[in-house]
Amino acid sequence: MSGVAYLAARYLARHKLVSGVLVAALALVVFLPAGLRVLVRHSAEALRARAIATPLVVGAPGSPVDLVLASLYFESGAPQPVPFSEVQHIDETGLAEAVPLHVRFRTGGKAIVGTTLAYFRQRELRVASGRLPAVLGECVVGASAARDLGVRPGDTLVSSPETVFDLAGVYPLRMRVTGILAPAGGPDDAAVFVDVKTAWIIQGLVHGHSDLAGPGSDAGVLAREEGRITANASVVEYNEITPENLDSFHFHGDPGAYPLTAVLAFPPEARSRALLMGRYEGSEARQILRPGGVIDELLATVFAVEKSVVAAIGLVAVATLAVGALVFVLSARLRRREFATLVKIGAPRGTVAALLGAEIALVTGAALLVAGGLVFVAARFAPLLLRSALAS
Amino acid sequence: MGVGAVVLLCGALLVSLACSGGEAPPPDAESTGGRLQVFAVNEPLRYFAERIGGDAVEVHFPAPAGVDPAHWSPDPDTVASYQGADLILLNGAGYAGWVTRATLPRSALVDTTGAVRDRLLARSDGVTHQHGPSGEHTHGAKAFTTWLDPTLASAQAAAVADAFASRRPELADRFARDRAALEADLLDLDARFAEAATALDGAPLIFSHPVYDYLVRRYDLDARSLHWEPDQPPAAREWRRLETIVRRHPARLLVWEAEPLADTVRRAAELGLESVVFAPCGNRCEGDWLDAMRSNAERLAAAAPSEP
Repeated sequence: MSGVAYLAARYLARHKLVSGVLVAALALVVFLPAGLRVLVRHSAEALRARAIATPLVVGAPGSPVDLVLASLYFESGAPQPVPFSEVQHIDETGLAEAVPLHVRFRTGGKAIVGTTLAYFRQRELRVASGRLPAVLGECVVGASAARDLGVRPGDTLVSSPETVFDLAGVYPLRMRVTGILAPAGGPDDAAVFVDVKTAWIIQGLVHGHSDLAGPGSDAGVLAREEGRITANASVVEYNEITPENLDSFHFHGDPGAYPLTAVLAFPPEARSRALLMGRYEGSEARQILRPGGVIDELLATVFAVEKSVVAAIGLVAVATLAVGALVFVLSARLRRREFATLVKIGAPRGTVAALLGAEIALVTGAALLVAGGLVFVAARFAPLLLRSALAS
Repeated sequence: MGVGAVVLLCGALLVSLACSGGEAPPPDAESTGGRLQVFAVNEPLRYFAERIGGDAVEVHFPAPAGVDPAHWSPDPDTVASYQGADLILLNGAGYAGWVTRATLPRSALVDTTGAVRDRLLARSDGVTHQHGPSGEHTHGAKAFTTWLDPTLASAQAAAVADAFASRRPELADRFARDRAALEADLLDLDARFAEAATALDGAPLIFSHPVYDYLVRRYDLDARSLHWEPDQPPAAREWRRLETIVRRHPARLLVWEAEPLADTVRRAAELGLESVVFAPCGNRCEGDWLDAMRSNAERLAAAAPSEP
């Protein structure tokens, strides 16, 4: 190491606090835009992958963003419902496999997703332990949701009321956990899956109650005419489905009118997808979306926001550099006697400038190293850290 | 785009960050050994599937012997076995209500009476009830012993053949040929039932159970129904009701789903009613389902009163 570099390094080491602050400030100025870019690109890639894996989403008219986010990530406000008959309608076209989604209720903060077995096949979800739901009232839990909720097959989960003051609303349903899904690395890990009919039970559309026609049922009957029974308010509606009361659960009205959040459509090839989209062209009652397109539009907005944020960070960087320069200038003034001593003991001309330059280079180099390390950490470990954060 | 949407997207971005890798093999309903795995909910459909599918299908009918599959509910493990089926043959008309309470692969479900829904009959013994704000409703509103009308059974067989052909298009001709043979047998059965009905010559009948609606409609039978079980002695109140019915509806035949108790046969005879078995064969019956149906026709014809 040359004498100048040695002196610069010793000086910086002697003034650890100032040097550290300078390195940290410069490192942050470099890391913030670079780290933001890495995070956004990484997230966008994952977001787009989930969207591309979902060819089409059919729902009621409204915000495409809400519909896609609710369907793919079980987030966002509940879009307007679409009737279950839409699933039958898509099936009848023979152009795609229709998968219903009912995303409205939660348990322990985790989304309860009502769907059919086709969802697990289309999403390639595998059961790590136990089995998939077989009858009403059973649920299978995503890997991180199971960890957070502390449940195993055989345990139970209770659905949450929609609001704290939902006294007249739906009753919570106790659901039996039949299986835990293997980690899939997506929103499915944080969800609880039930048969869509179980979701309708939570909503109060399908229910079971004590026998009104059998012996000993008179206490619950208000009026009994030929072929017609009117029950009173004492009739017990079950809030847990057991082998004993399972057979009493029944639908009211036309199941085709029951609500869904959305219908996922999985066409076998591009031609079927185009034909199915054509069927909905001009429809005012439904909208059909390619999630990839919706997400791309959203990402364009995110990238625009990112540019604004980076521009703002640029201004902060200029200010930081100015402050850094000021620190060096003030430092040089304070060190005037030190530099004079160097000259007196025979240091060549230009040594002082070289010394200050070396100090600036060392600080900048250290800052770049720290920033590079942070970017690497963000790129490598951020998904894991964020997954833990989300899980908690 | 609003700020809210951007915030939502940021949330979704965070969620999507959790995406990486993942394990794949899906729950699988593929057939094993190249044979279609077919599950049926009753004996007629099991029989149709075996006749039409032959060795190209492996037919499962898990309902235990001695129970009525219409009212049987499989345990969750049995439902899980249904989940692995390539095809699940449903009778439709609300038959096997457990199907609506089970999680089954929609793509495997075949409603064999879906194409003849307009020919289904409303149940004569449905009870409407009302509780809470959800209004009146009736459980099990359709009569479901559809195969007692062989023309409906033929439509169900056609639905089975179509479902097989959709899964194994290369065997469609073979399925069509075997279905045609089955259809010929069902038409022959229709003729035998019609002969039995002709032999009855409009004589009034009493059925021990309200499961013969389609037989009654198809052959224009003059019948009333009780709600008696062949293996249980009727209560005194039920005998009084029968006496009342016989006074208004002078039947000479009491038709049972299975062999009734000897004492019940004797007491019915005292009322002038000869007991005859017409087994719907919703579950496994002795021998072949078609033979069992032919035996039903023969017994009914043989029991026809010699004079009205």
